[in-house]
Amino acid sequence: MLNRRKQIANACVGMLCLIVSSCAVLLLLAIVVFMLQESWPVWVSQGFSGIAFSTNWNPLGDPPLTGIGTMIISTLWVAMGGLFIAAPIGFCAAIFLAEFAPPRLADIIRPVLNILTGIPSVVYGFLGAAVLVSFFEVNFNMASGESLFCASLILTVMVLPYIVATSEAALRAVPREYRQTALALGVSKPYLTLKVLVPLAKKGLVGALILAFGRAAGETMAVLMVAGNVLIMPNSWFSKGEPLSALIALELGSAEVGSAHYQGLFAAGLVLLIFVMAINLGLAFIRRDKKTG
Amino acid sequence: MKRIRNLLVMMLVMGLVLLAGCAGQSEQPGASDSAEVLDIKLGGSSTLSPVIAKCADDFTEKYKTWNNVDPSLPEEPIVIFVSTGGSGFGARSAIDGTFDMGLLARDLKDTEKESLSEGVVVKLGSDALTIAVHPENPVLQVRPDLTTEEVKKIFAGEIKTWKELDDQLPDRPIVVAVRDLGGGASEVFDENVMQGTPIAKDALQMPSMGALAGKVMENKDAIGYVSYGFVGQNEGKIAVLSVDGYQPTAENINSGDYKISRPLLLVTKDVPTVEQQLFIDYLESEEGMQVLEGMGFIPAVN
Repeated sequence: MLNRRKQIANACVGMLCLIVSSCAVLLLLAIVVFMLQESWPVWVSQGFSGIAFSTNWNPLGDPPLTGIGTMIISTLWVAMGGLFIAAPIGFCAAIFLAEFAPPRLADIIRPVLNILTGIPSVVYGFLGAAVLVSFFEVNFNMASGESLFCASLILTVMVLPYIVATSEAALRAVPREYRQTALALGVSKPYLTLKVLVPLAKKGLVGALILAFGRAAGETMAVLMVAGNVLIMPNSWFSKGEPLSALIALELGSAEVGSAHYQGLFAAGLVLLIFVMAINLGLAFIRRDKKTG
Repeated sequence: MKRIRNLLVMMLVMGLVLLAGCAGQSEQPGASDSAEVLDIKLGGSSTLSPVIAKCADDFTEKYKTWNNVDPSLPEEPIVIFVSTGGSGFGARSAIDGTFDMGLLARDLKDTEKESLSEGVVVKLGSDALTIAVHPENPVLQVRPDLTTEEVKKIFAGEIKTWKELDDQLPDRPIVVAVRDLGGGASEVFDENVMQGTPIAKDALQMPSMGALAGKVMENKDAIGYVSYGFVGQNEGKIAVLSVDGYQPTAENINSGDYKISRPLLLVTKDVPTVEQQLFIDYLESEEGMQVLEGMGFIPAVN
């Protein structure tokens, strides 16, 4: 009797959790469907290549053109650039925290890094616009200091805590036996770290990079304020550019509802969303791989 | 076992609360009709909304309850919400009915005019876009007056360096700063200067008028269209050039001699309620116009 009641209760709780968690999935699905629905007319009229590969963004012209190729390149450039700087710093910091730092020092560094994640992105953007941009203008004699490089520098600071935290966890997740075996064989601590632990934690480290890339690609406010927002194709790290997220934030407020401009912005949003979702899916696969392998 | 039961009970209670919330909401329109109508929600243009917000503060402070404005109204507190978000957002919100009144810093488009044909359009004043440069820019001594054609060429990217504008100027690139394409300011500029010629692709698009003014204040090679109000608020930090011989002054803007100007509008979807009309009257009164003028705009001539 009691057992039966227990079973029913369990089933109920399971059901409830299922319903609640499917709501979250439905929410994501609803967002994708909504964005697709809002942007559908431009996908039909411009075609996929007319949006993703074209570099003509002139949604108010006649006919309206909504090519976001330059924005996609800018997004990639800014995010990759940010990772390029953040990855070595982040990995070194993680290795130091996981293996070499005295516990007391690690207890100070870790919360400080975590505070970095809590700073609102508009503050980063403001600092970037006020300090970095004018620094470049004055010291490098640039006509104007806004550039993808500035945006990358700010993203570096923003994604660093994610890289450190995730890769430190990956290093710590390496089973104890490896460590003990290595030490029993008499290898030095740097050898143990670099030749044993890092290769073993490789997938976790790549996962950290992918997570950071997703963050960097989706970041809006900070890049909006320092990337310069020009419509020409960036041809170096020091050119100006307009990442997808900045384009949307900048123009959605003034786009007339239902116009090609509005639909084009939703198309840009959809591309960005799919981008970030694909990255997260990739991450999930890597994680699953790690468990089974 | 007990824990699971507690959990279930808790979830049940939460479910009931949620249900109760839904029920409450569906009953609301009938029950609280009178209280809801008295609130006024406005929003739109980031240029105009600070003026309206200041007026709303003054208005609320002065009268506190509606019966102090007009004795025939109930003794309900005055609540006025003002939010910002751009001219397009203002028009859209008024059409959708999310706001009672929309604020625009540009003319209504034809499609918007159609959707708002039942309501009123109030012109509160005008704002001009000045062709602004850094106060230390030598162009102020050499060429303080530009023609519309020159302004157009600079913003279209045909004149790329200051030297190309005039031989006596340094051979430095001109940094063109604009607002986002399609926004209120950029439409006004297109209408009065560019006339369909696209803005240079390497022009910096700034996220707000404040950021644009900041760019001109910081960068000695920058040129941008800065709102007349901002120039007044940052005296000495921004210098303006005259266009076709006319300085952007209140007289020249009002007379229409200085062409690059835009109206500041307030629109409603339906005929304003008594309370809404009272607030509009206040905005148009001397007190309201003083606030508008104090923030650097040109009051509408009544």
